Amino acid sequence: MRHAHVEMLVRFSSLAMLVALGLMVLSLVFPNPLFLVLAMSIGQGIGALAVALYLLAIALDLQKGASPTSNDAGAAGEEP
Amino acid sequence: MALACAACSAAIIVWYLVRRPQLGRVTKVVLLAGLGLLPLIVSLTGNIAGYEYTLSRPFCGSCHVMGAYVRDAEDPKSQSLAAIHSRNHKFGDESCYMCHSDYQIFGAVTTKLNGLRHLYYYITEYASTGPDGEGGPTIKLYKPFTNAKCMQCHSTAAQKYMETHADQLEQIRSGEVSCIDCHNEVHPTALAHRAQEKKAEAK
Repeated sequence: MRHAHVEMLVRFSSLAMLVALGLMVLSLVFPNPLFLVLAMSIGQGIGALAVALYLLAIALDLQKGASPTSNDAGAAGEEP
Repeated sequence: MALACAACSAAIIVWYLVRRPQLGRVTKVVLLAGLGLLPLIVSLTGNIAGYEYTLSRPFCGSCHVMGAYVRDAEDPKSQSLAAIHSRNHKFGDESCYMCHSDYQIFGAVTTKLNGLRHLYYYITEYASTGPDGEGGPTIKLYKPFTNAKCMQCHSTAAQKYMETHADQLEQIRSGEVSCIDCHNEVHPTALAHRAQEKKAEAK
């Protein structure tokens, strides 16, 4: 159950970071006042939230400790 | 650099969302780069690039209400103070910022905060005005133009300056008399344009 929460948090964090990156890149490609303000406020705000969510997810995952779903068997079984 | 880091970060995130690998150690580290390190670089370099761009005249001219001011400043034949200063390589592309930024320890910060006010007024009062801001409220400075901005370059201690300004030297230094009281051809074309517009409105 908790594993599902962690996965969901990471996915949400990833999506939020994509939005944040989009806003930041928009201000670099089209540097007009509105886009710059959006990137430096909302963009970076969403980005910070995404990082915080990811760190929370990792903390939750570590808290699970030795539960079978979270065992870090190294690179062996984890990559598709 | 910012764009390259953004592309790498996005690639990592998309890889994670599409392939959905298990959250093992390697995945966590890769995601830490994609969600933490690379976006941090994008954010920092983006902030620097953004800040640099906000100093430039094209940035000021990106709001249409500044059109007449920027055209005059960029006119190689114009004899306005704005144009003369813009032709000086020390001011160059940053001539608006050089004269209109606050000249004090937190000058850059207060100038940028004022920039946010500009954006607010632009959206709420000027967004639907004419090609050069016709129909909008008269553009004016938030506070009087201080002599300190001129004195960044024009020393009041220079011999020639003291000779030519001898009668009002102390008043100029104290700010009692403003430089632009006499040197008032700063943005004549733009101000004439606004005056004509006001006349037309009155009719």
